[in-house]
Amino acid sequence: MTESLLRAGGAALTVAYAVLIGWLATSQPQSIAEVTGGLAATFGAYEVDAISFQEGLRLFREEQFEAARTAWSRADPAGRDPRTQFYVAYSFYRQGWGRVSHDDALYAAGLDALARAVAAAPGGHVTVSDPNLQIHTADELEAELRAGQTQDWSDLNPLRVFRSRK
Amino acid sequence: MTPVREAYGLPLILLTVVLIGGIRLTTPVVIDPPTLFSLVLASVLLAVFARSGVVDPSRLLHQDRSALANLNGMLVLFALFLANAQVISRLTPDAGLPALAVSVLFFVTLLQLGAARLDRTRCLRMWAVTLLSAFVVKFVILGALAGPADRPVARALQALVDGLTFGSLSLPLERPAAGYLAFAMLGTYLIGLVLLPAAHRRALLVRRS
Repeated sequence: MTESLLRAGGAALTVAYAVLIGWLATSQPQSIAEVTGGLAATFGAYEVDAISFQEGLRLFREEQFEAARTAWSRADPAGRDPRTQFYVAYSFYRQGWGRVSHDDALYAAGLDALARAVAAAPGGHVTVSDPNLQIHTADELEAELRAGQTQDWSDLNPLRVFRSRK
Repeated sequence: MTPVREAYGLPLILLTVVLIGGIRLTTPVVIDPPTLFSLVLASVLLAVFARSGVVDPSRLLHQDRSALANLNGMLVLFALFLANAQVISRLTPDAGLPALAVSVLFFVTLLQLGAARLDRTRCLRMWAVTLLSAFVVKFVILGALAGPADRPVARALQALVDGLTFGSLSLPLERPAAGYLAFAMLGTYLIGLVLLPAAHRRALLVRRS
Protein backbone atom coordinates (compact mmCIF):
# COMPACT_ATOMS: atom_id res chain seq x y z
CA MET A 1 0.00 0.00 0.00
CA THR A 2 2.78 2.38 1.00
CA GLU A 3 4.70 1.58 -2.16
CA SER A 4 1.59 2.16 -4.29
CA LEU A 5 1.10 5.57 -2.70
CA LEU A 6 4.74 6.37 -3.23
CA ARG A 7 4.57 5.41 -6.88
CA ALA A 8 1.29 7.26 -7.49
CA GLY A 9 2.75 10.39 -5.88
CA GLY A 10 5.85 10.12 -8.04
CA ALA A 11 3.81 9.72 -11.23
CA ALA A 12 1.62 12.72 -10.35
CA LEU A 13 4.66 14.85 -9.53
CA THR A 14 6.39 13.86 -12.76
CA VAL A 15 3.35 14.66 -14.88
CA ALA A 16 2.91 18.01 -13.08
CA TYR A 17 6.59 18.87 -13.64
CA ALA A 18 6.36 17.95 -17.33
CA VAL A 19 3.23 20.10 -17.71
CA LEU A 20 5.02 23.00 -15.98
CA ILE A 21 7.94 22.73 -18.42
CA GLY A 22 5.52 22.63 -21.36
CA TRP A 23 3.71 25.67 -20.00
CA LEU A 24 6.99 27.57 -19.56
CA ALA A 25 7.98 26.76 -23.15
CA THR A 26 4.67 27.97 -24.57
CA SER A 27 4.13 31.08 -22.44
CA GLN A 28 7.81 32.22 -22.27
CA PRO A 29 7.64 34.21 -19.00
CA GLN A 30 10.39 36.81 -18.53
CA SER A 31 10.43 37.12 -14.74
CA ILE A 32 9.60 35.19 -11.59
CA ALA A 33 6.56 37.46 -11.16
CA GLU A 34 5.30 36.37 -14.56
CA VAL A 35 5.85 32.72 -13.66
CA THR A 36 3.98 32.96 -10.35
CA GLY A 37 1.29 35.22 -11.82
CA GLY A 38 0.79 32.91 -14.77
CA LEU A 39 0.51 29.86 -12.53
CA ALA A 40 -1.92 31.69 -10.23
CA ALA A 41 -3.99 32.75 -13.25
CA THR A 42 -4.12 29.12 -14.42
CA PHE A 43 -5.82 28.22 -11.16
CA GLY A 44 -7.94 31.39 -11.15
CA ALA A 45 -6.13 32.77 -8.12
CA TYR A 46 -4.47 35.81 -9.69
CA GLU A 47 -5.48 39.17 -8.22
CA VAL A 48 -4.50 42.72 -9.07
CA ASP A 49 -3.29 45.03 -6.31
CA ALA A 50 -6.27 47.44 -6.20
CA ILE A 51 -4.42 50.24 -4.37
CA SER A 52 -1.59 50.36 -6.93
CA PHE A 53 -4.13 50.19 -9.75
CA GLN A 54 -6.05 53.20 -8.43
CA GLU A 55 -2.77 55.07 -7.93
CA GLY A 56 -1.89 54.36 -11.57
CA LEU A 57 -5.33 55.54 -12.68
CA ARG A 58 -4.89 58.81 -10.80
CA LEU A 59 -1.47 59.40 -12.38
CA PHE A 60 -2.87 58.49 -15.81
CA ARG A 61 -5.59 61.14 -15.49
CA GLU A 62 -2.92 63.66 -14.48
CA GLU A 63 -1.07 62.76 -17.70
CA GLN A 64 1.90 61.31 -15.82
CA PHE A 65 2.01 58.29 -18.06
CA GLU A 66 5.36 56.77 -17.11
CA ALA A 67 4.56 57.03 -13.41
CA ALA A 68 1.16 55.50 -14.08
CA ARG A 69 2.75 52.55 -15.84
CA THR A 70 5.14 52.04 -12.92
CA ALA A 71 2.16 51.85 -10.56
CA TRP A 72 0.33 49.46 -12.89
CA SER A 73 3.38 47.23 -13.19
CA ARG A 74 3.20 46.93 -9.41
CA ALA A 75 -0.52 46.24 -9.57
CA ASP A 76 -0.25 43.62 -12.32
CA PRO A 77 3.33 42.28 -12.21
CA ALA A 78 2.54 39.29 -14.40
CA GLY A 79 0.70 41.32 -17.06
CA ARG A 80 -2.30 39.03 -16.68
CA ASP A 81 -5.10 41.51 -16.00
CA PRO A 82 -6.93 42.63 -19.19
CA ARG A 83 -8.20 45.92 -17.72
CA THR A 84 -4.78 46.99 -16.39
CA GLN A 85 -3.05 46.07 -19.63
CA PHE A 86 -5.71 48.00 -21.57
CA TYR A 87 -4.91 51.08 -19.51
CA VAL A 88 -1.18 50.52 -20.04
CA ALA A 89 -1.79 50.40 -23.80
CA TYR A 90 -3.95 53.51 -23.56
CA SER A 91 -1.19 55.34 -21.69
CA PHE A 92 1.25 54.49 -24.50
CA TYR A 93 -1.30 55.81 -27.02
CA ARG A 94 -1.82 59.10 -25.20
CA GLN A 95 1.90 59.59 -24.54
CA GLY A 96 2.85 58.78 -28.13
CA TRP A 97 0.10 60.85 -29.73
CA GLY A 98 1.17 64.05 -31.47
CA ARG A 99 -0.70 66.62 -33.49
CA VAL A 100 1.78 66.36 -36.35
CA SER A 101 3.34 62.94 -35.86
CA HIS A 102 3.11 59.96 -33.51
CA ASP A 103 5.86 58.13 -31.62
CA ASP A 104 6.13 54.75 -33.33
CA ALA A 105 8.11 53.14 -30.49
CA LEU A 106 5.45 54.06 -27.91
CA TYR A 107 2.69 52.91 -30.23
CA ALA A 108 4.48 49.57 -30.69
CA ALA A 109 4.74 49.20 -26.91
CA GLY A 110 1.03 50.00 -26.73
CA LEU A 111 0.26 47.22 -29.18
CA ASP A 112 2.33 44.80 -27.08
CA ALA A 113 0.37 45.72 -23.96
CA LEU A 114 -2.88 45.39 -25.88
CA ALA A 115 -1.85 41.93 -27.06
CA ARG A 116 -1.30 40.94 -23.42
CA ALA A 117 -4.75 42.31 -22.54
CA VAL A 118 -6.43 40.36 -25.33
CA ALA A 119 -4.51 37.19 -24.47
CA ALA A 120 -5.56 37.40 -20.83
CA ALA A 121 -9.21 38.27 -21.50
CA PRO A 122 -11.78 35.48 -21.72
CA GLY A 123 -12.68 35.14 -25.39
CA GLY A 124 -10.23 37.91 -26.27
CA HIS A 125 -12.83 40.65 -25.69
CA VAL A 126 -11.61 43.63 -23.68
CA THR A 127 -14.12 46.35 -22.87
CA VAL A 128 -13.46 49.09 -20.31
CA SER A 129 -16.41 51.33 -19.45
CA ASP A 130 -14.53 54.36 -18.17
CA PRO A 131 -16.36 57.65 -18.99
CA ASN A 132 -13.01 59.49 -18.98
CA LEU A 133 -11.86 57.49 -22.01
CA GLN A 134 -13.04 57.94 -25.57
CA ILE A 135 -11.94 54.46 -26.64
CA HIS A 136 -13.55 51.61 -24.75
CA THR A 137 -12.58 48.41 -26.54
CA ALA A 138 -9.30 46.74 -27.43
CA ASP A 139 -10.33 46.55 -31.09
CA GLU A 140 -10.82 50.33 -31.34
CA LEU A 141 -7.59 51.05 -29.52
CA GLU A 142 -5.67 48.61 -31.72
CA ALA A 143 -7.08 50.28 -34.85
CA GLU A 144 -6.03 53.68 -33.50
CA LEU A 145 -2.51 52.50 -32.68
CA ARG A 146 -2.06 50.78 -36.04
CA ALA A 147 -3.38 53.79 -37.92
CA GLY A 148 -0.83 55.91 -36.07
CA GLN A 149 1.99 53.67 -37.24
CA THR A 150 0.88 53.63 -40.87
CA GLN A 151 2.44 56.13 -43.26
CA ASP A 152 0.33 57.23 -46.24
CA TRP A 153 -0.69 60.32 -48.20
CA SER A 154 -3.18 61.40 -45.53
CA ASP A 155 -0.18 62.21 -43.30
CA LEU A 156 0.46 65.20 -45.57
CA ASN A 157 -3.03 66.58 -45.04
CA PRO A 158 -2.59 69.94 -43.21
CA LEU A 159 -6.02 69.56 -41.61
CA ARG A 160 -4.71 66.73 -39.44
CA VAL A 161 -3.37 69.32 -37.00
CA PHE A 162 -6.98 69.94 -35.96
CA ARG A 163 -7.49 66.33 -34.90
CA SER A 164 -7.84 65.68 -31.22
CA ARG A 165 -6.45 62.97 -29.00
CA LYS A 166 -8.94 60.40 -27.81
CA MET B 1 16.35 -0.07 -8.08
CA THR B 2 14.28 1.42 -5.27
CA PRO B 3 10.77 2.76 -5.96
CA VAL B 4 11.88 6.20 -4.75
CA ARG B 5 14.61 6.40 -7.36
CA GLU B 6 12.26 5.14 -10.09
CA ALA B 7 9.23 7.27 -9.16
CA TYR B 8 10.95 10.48 -8.05
CA GLY B 9 14.70 10.58 -8.56
CA LEU B 10 15.12 9.64 -12.20
CA PRO B 11 12.10 11.47 -13.73
CA LEU B 12 12.83 14.65 -11.81
CA ILE B 13 16.55 14.62 -12.68
CA LEU B 14 15.86 13.98 -16.36
CA LEU B 15 13.06 16.55 -16.61
CA THR B 16 15.33 19.09 -14.92
CA VAL B 17 17.79 18.44 -17.73
CA VAL B 18 14.96 19.17 -20.21
CA LEU B 19 14.16 22.43 -18.40
CA ILE B 20 17.74 23.68 -18.00
CA GLY B 21 18.62 22.61 -21.54
CA GLY B 22 15.74 24.59 -22.97
CA ILE B 23 16.76 27.92 -21.46
CA ARG B 24 18.44 30.28 -23.95
CA LEU B 25 20.05 33.26 -22.25
CA THR B 26 19.40 35.65 -25.10
CA THR B 27 17.51 38.95 -24.82
CA PRO B 28 14.69 38.23 -24.06
CA VAL B 29 15.27 34.87 -22.36
CA VAL B 30 13.45 32.08 -24.18
CA ILE B 31 12.74 28.44 -23.44
CA ASP B 32 13.18 26.38 -26.59
CA PRO B 33 11.87 22.86 -27.19
CA PRO B 34 14.30 20.34 -28.72
CA THR B 35 14.75 20.47 -32.50
CA LEU B 36 13.15 17.89 -34.78
CA PHE B 37 16.51 16.39 -35.75
CA SER B 38 17.44 15.98 -32.09
CA LEU B 39 14.21 14.03 -31.54
CA VAL B 40 15.25 11.62 -34.29
CA LEU B 41 18.73 11.23 -32.82
CA ALA B 42 17.24 10.80 -29.32
CA SER B 43 15.15 7.85 -30.43
CA VAL B 44 18.23 6.23 -31.99
CA LEU B 45 20.15 6.93 -28.78
CA LEU B 46 17.41 5.28 -26.72
CA ALA B 47 17.79 2.14 -28.81
CA VAL B 48 21.59 2.29 -28.39
CA PHE B 49 21.21 2.63 -24.62
CA ALA B 50 18.87 -0.36 -24.47
CA ARG B 51 21.22 -2.45 -26.61
CA SER B 52 24.35 -1.65 -24.63
CA GLY B 53 22.68 -2.12 -21.25
CA VAL B 54 22.83 1.52 -20.15
CA VAL B 55 19.15 1.09 -19.43
CA ASP B 56 17.25 -2.16 -19.22
CA PRO B 57 13.69 -1.47 -20.41
CA SER B 58 12.46 -4.77 -18.94
CA ARG B 59 13.31 -3.42 -15.46
CA LEU B 60 11.02 -0.48 -16.13
CA LEU B 61 8.22 -2.04 -18.17
CA HIS B 62 7.30 -5.67 -17.62
CA GLN B 63 4.15 -7.73 -17.28
CA ASP B 64 5.25 -8.97 -13.83
CA ARG B 65 5.26 -5.42 -12.47
CA SER B 66 2.19 -3.62 -11.17
CA ALA B 67 0.37 -1.06 -13.36
CA LEU B 68 1.66 1.82 -11.23
CA ALA B 69 5.22 0.52 -11.43
CA ASN B 70 4.90 0.27 -15.20
CA LEU B 71 3.54 3.82 -15.31
CA ASN B 72 6.61 5.00 -13.36
CA GLY B 73 8.86 3.07 -15.74
CA MET B 74 7.14 4.54 -18.77
CA LEU B 75 7.60 8.05 -17.36
CA VAL B 76 11.31 7.36 -16.79
CA LEU B 77 11.73 6.24 -20.41
CA PHE B 78 9.74 9.23 -21.67
CA ALA B 79 11.84 11.63 -19.56
CA LEU B 80 15.03 9.92 -20.77
CA PHE B 81 13.93 10.37 -24.39
CA LEU B 82 13.20 14.08 -23.85
CA ALA B 83 16.46 14.61 -21.94
CA ASN B 84 18.44 12.92 -24.74
CA ALA B 85 16.79 15.19 -27.30
CA GLN B 86 17.28 18.33 -25.24
CA VAL B 87 20.96 17.63 -24.55
CA ILE B 88 21.67 16.97 -28.23
CA SER B 89 19.69 20.07 -29.19
CA ARG B 90 21.47 22.28 -26.64
CA LEU B 91 24.96 21.16 -27.59
CA THR B 92 24.33 21.60 -31.31
CA PRO B 93 25.14 25.13 -32.55
CA ASP B 94 22.07 27.07 -33.64
CA ALA B 95 22.84 27.62 -37.31
CA GLY B 96 25.32 27.51 -40.15
CA LEU B 97 28.31 25.28 -40.79
CA PRO B 98 28.96 24.44 -37.10
CA ALA B 99 25.39 23.14 -36.72
CA LEU B 100 25.90 20.81 -39.67
CA ALA B 101 29.30 19.64 -38.41
CA VAL B 102 28.11 18.86 -34.87
CA SER B 103 24.94 17.18 -36.15
CA VAL B 104 27.09 14.90 -38.32
CA LEU B 105 29.35 14.25 -35.30
CA PHE B 106 26.34 13.12 -33.24
CA PHE B 107 24.94 11.01 -36.05
CA VAL B 108 28.24 9.22 -36.74
CA THR B 109 28.85 8.66 -33.03
CA LEU B 110 25.42 7.09 -32.61
CA LEU B 111 26.04 4.81 -35.58
CA GLN B 112 29.38 3.76 -34.07
CA LEU B 113 27.83 3.17 -30.66
CA GLY B 114 25.10 1.08 -32.24
CA ALA B 115 27.44 -0.97 -34.38
CA ALA B 116 30.15 -1.51 -31.76
CA ARG B 117 27.82 -3.27 -29.26
CA LEU B 118 29.72 -1.84 -26.30
CA ASP B 119 28.99 -2.68 -22.70
CA ARG B 120 27.37 -0.15 -20.36
CA THR B 121 30.54 1.44 -19.00
CA ARG B 122 32.22 1.89 -22.37
CA CYS B 123 29.05 3.17 -24.00
CA LEU B 124 28.54 5.75 -21.26
CA ARG B 125 32.19 6.77 -21.40
CA MET B 126 32.13 7.24 -25.17
CA TRP B 127 28.85 9.17 -25.07
CA ALA B 128 30.16 11.41 -22.29
CA VAL B 129 33.32 12.19 -24.28
CA THR B 130 31.21 13.01 -27.36
CA LEU B 131 28.99 15.36 -25.37
CA LEU B 132 31.98 17.03 -23.75
CA SER B 133 33.56 17.54 -27.17
CA ALA B 134 30.37 19.12 -28.50
CA PHE B 135 30.23 21.33 -25.40
CA VAL B 136 33.79 22.54 -25.99
CA VAL B 137 33.07 23.23 -29.66
CA LYS B 138 29.90 25.21 -28.98
CA PHE B 139 30.58 27.06 -25.75
CA VAL B 140 34.37 27.42 -25.75
CA ILE B 141 35.55 27.64 -29.36
CA LEU B 142 32.47 29.05 -31.12
CA GLY B 143 31.62 31.15 -28.04
CA ALA B 144 35.02 32.81 -28.30
CA LEU B 145 34.59 33.39 -32.03
CA ALA B 146 31.06 34.75 -31.77
CA GLY B 147 31.63 36.85 -28.64
CA PRO B 148 32.53 40.54 -28.59
CA ALA B 149 36.06 41.09 -29.90
CA ASP B 150 37.61 43.45 -27.37
CA ARG B 151 41.21 43.07 -28.51
CA PRO B 152 42.81 43.61 -31.93
CA VAL B 153 43.90 39.96 -32.20
CA ALA B 154 40.38 38.75 -31.47
CA ARG B 155 38.93 41.17 -34.01
CA ALA B 156 41.42 40.03 -36.63
CA LEU B 157 40.65 36.35 -35.89
CA GLN B 158 36.91 36.96 -36.15
CA ALA B 159 37.31 38.79 -39.44
CA LEU B 160 39.53 36.01 -40.79
CA VAL B 161 37.14 33.20 -39.79
CA ASP B 162 34.12 35.16 -41.00
CA GLY B 163 35.78 35.75 -44.35
CA LEU B 164 36.95 32.15 -44.77
CA THR B 165 33.51 30.71 -43.97
CA PHE B 166 31.46 33.35 -45.83
CA GLY B 167 29.80 34.38 -42.57
CA SER B 168 28.43 30.91 -41.84
CA LEU B 169 30.07 30.89 -38.39
CA SER B 170 28.10 33.87 -37.12
CA LEU B 171 25.96 32.71 -34.21
CA PRO B 172 23.31 34.27 -31.97
CA LEU B 173 25.00 35.76 -28.93
CA GLU B 174 24.10 34.36 -25.51
CA ARG B 175 25.15 35.69 -22.11
CA PRO B 176 28.36 34.20 -20.60
CA ALA B 177 26.28 32.32 -18.00
CA ALA B 178 24.84 30.17 -20.81
CA GLY B 179 27.97 28.01 -20.84
CA TYR B 180 27.77 27.38 -17.09
CA LEU B 181 24.09 26.52 -17.40
CA ALA B 182 24.81 24.08 -20.23
CA PHE B 183 27.60 22.52 -18.16
CA ALA B 184 25.20 22.06 -15.23
CA MET B 185 22.73 20.45 -17.63
CA LEU B 186 25.41 18.10 -18.92
CA GLY B 187 26.48 17.09 -15.40
CA THR B 188 22.89 16.47 -14.30
CA TYR B 189 22.22 14.43 -17.43
CA LEU B 190 25.26 12.21 -16.89
CA ILE B 191 24.26 11.63 -13.25
CA GLY B 192 20.81 10.64 -14.52
CA LEU B 193 22.33 8.17 -16.98
CA VAL B 194 24.46 6.54 -14.28
CA LEU B 195 21.37 6.12 -12.06
CA LEU B 196 19.36 4.33 -14.78
CA PRO B 197 18.55 0.65 -14.12
CA ALA B 198 21.26 -1.25 -15.95
CA ALA B 199 20.92 -4.61 -17.65
CA HIS B 200 21.96 -7.45 -15.37
CA ARG B 201 25.26 -8.97 -16.36
CA ARG B 202 25.04 -12.55 -17.54
CA ALA B 203 27.01 -14.92 -15.34
CA LEU B 204 29.75 -16.90 -16.99
CA LEU B 205 29.17 -20.60 -16.42
CA VAL B 206 32.22 -22.83 -16.26
CA ARG B 207 31.53 -26.52 -16.31
CA ARG B 208 34.09 -28.73 -14.62
CA SER B 209 34.73 -31.95 -16.38
